[in-house]
Amino acid sequence: MNDSGAQGEVLYRESYGITGNDFEHGGDVATRVKSVLKELGIDSATVRRLSIANFEAEMNVIMYAERATLDLTVSRDEIRVAVTDRGPGIPDVEQAMQEGFSTATSQMRSRGFGAGMGLPNMKRNTDRFEVESVPGRGTTLRYAVRLVSAGAA
Amino acid sequence: MNDAIVHSVEFDRERCIACVACCKACPTQAIRVRERQVALDPDRCIDCGECIRACPYDAVSARTSSPSDLKKFKYTVAIPSTTLFSQFGGEVHPSQIAHALTRIGFDRVHDVSWMCEMVGRAVDTYLSECREPWPKISVTCPAVIRLIQIRYPDLVPHLLPIESPRELAAKLVRRRVSQELGLKAQDIGIFYLTPCSAIMHSILWPVGLDESHLDGAFSVAEIYGPLRKAIEEGDRDAAGFEFSPKGLQWAMAGGETAMMRTRNTLAISGTQDVTYVFDRIESGKFRGVDFIEAYICPDGCVSGPLLVEGRYAAKRTIREVVSRLGARTPVQEEKVRSLWHEHFFDMEEEVKARPVRAPARDLREAVRLKQEKDRLVASLPRKDCAACGAPTCQALAEDVLHGAASTDDCVFVRLERLASPSAGPGEEAPSSSGAGEGGGRATPPRPGEGT
Repeated sequence: MNDSGAQGEVLYRESYGITGNDFEHGGDVATRVKSVLKELGIDSATVRRLSIANFEAEMNVIMYAERATLDLTVSRDEIRVAVTDRGPGIPDVEQAMQEGFSTATSQMRSRGFGAGMGLPNMKRNTDRFEVESVPGRGTTLRYAVRLVSAGAA
Repeated sequence: MNDAIVHSVEFDRERCIACVACCKACPTQAIRVRERQVALDPDRCIDCGECIRACPYDAVSARTSSPSDLKKFKYTVAIPSTTLFSQFGGEVHPSQIAHALTRIGFDRVHDVSWMCEMVGRAVDTYLSECREPWPKISVTCPAVIRLIQIRYPDLVPHLLPIESPRELAAKLVRRRVSQELGLKAQDIGIFYLTPCSAIMHSILWPVGLDESHLDGAFSVAEIYGPLRKAIEEGDRDAAGFEFSPKGLQWAMAGGETAMMRTRNTLAISGTQDVTYVFDRIESGKFRGVDFIEAYICPDGCVSGPLLVEGRYAAKRTIREVVSRLGARTPVQEEKVRSLWHEHFFDMEEEVKARPVRAPARDLREAVRLKQEKDRLVASLPRKDCAACGAPTCQALAEDVLHGAASTDDCVFVRLERLASPSAGPGEEAPSSSGAGEGGGRATPPRPGEGT
């Protein structure tokens, strides 16, 4: 076995589709990813932080985009997620990253979505967080959480 | 409490025909039926009693106290669950039931409904002072606490650090009786009249306190006959006891939140809904909610597996009883405040997570196991028929990986093999390589195996 570079070596990979406006299944992908990570024995605090980010990302797609793919990549030192959507994009990423900024309609808010905490909340719960957006085309979110205990010893 | 877990749920091997009704009903997948024997995983069982409800052969029961247990004490006190008052129709006043209890063997009856109201006020106070994480989750249902401990370790900090009304009532009445009658605390036997196995388990193996303040519990179904007779024979005099109408509503899901100052609450019940909501709290949903009242039984304690009356009738009865009692309340705000400052309501011990799955030592190995399991599951019919004795094909695959079962336990796998006896490792038929056992089990079905 090749031990060099084992830290970044991908151990597990899976992709999930998310459909815009599919409120009926809102949260299903985040829940499925969570059960996979639990099954892999990832510690529950890490699973939780990532699940919060996944849930926000999933709901953002359902509320604003046409469709997206969530790619999960587990390596020894971190869990990476990329959510690539086809949608309107975010015109002002900097503004969207501010706490409290939301374009959610009041109808959405009353259903508990779009409290204006989406992106900042994702950033808070992850160790790496990047937004790439092309207005009119779509948005890609890339984020990761570090795995502390794994790889040691 | 670090000793071996003591469960209340018991199986009668004579009555059990090794069907899989309990195995399929179990919300934590704690039951397997292997070699025509039912086996319970003590680490997974939360004593919710779904198996008691599901068993068509009356082979599952809850271990409860027996009349001989009463003889161990000089003085006995019965604390009836609020659900007891839902069992005899709205015409019967709770005081009649309480009086009748003193005629079937208890020296005293102590009402828990007013303690429910006090605890409700204490929770109100706590919610106005506490911090994250939100939402807080109620601790009234012992099966919910245990479900969180084993399946949602991350939700443990959401649990209210406030003791249940039944334990607090027992603590208080022991003090009172001991003072009034000059009895030693250990000479007083305090028994709960329980609607469920989960509460009995919480007495045998408490969480949040070192030792239960209750000495045992009788199932409502067990005392129902004699009690009904004693109610009919007694007079209809309703004096002598005071009940809290608000507290009596704790018999139903929503009763706890109904009396709270905050309206920002949810009441959830039934294993399916509870796991649905808990899964989402784990993902950060419901952060905007203050308090969640959760019960394993549908509609709350009124559908406990050890009750007699059906849950819809029981709910109607409780509503009628409550409306007849009117709006009076025996609880004084100052009393709650002074007990609050004494830390009377506090849980004695911290609730700790008790995850069933140990975290993997090696991620690579965990990934390999998961992939192997996924492959196994794909080779199984995924009908979740449970004929193999595991509740789902997923569960069978896990058992196979742990060497506790073989894919040959699957009826469909065996049928397929019979249809194409030449099926080798190259074909779709699953390999039994990871099984470790069961090599001899693939061949002709044993006689009498068909159902």
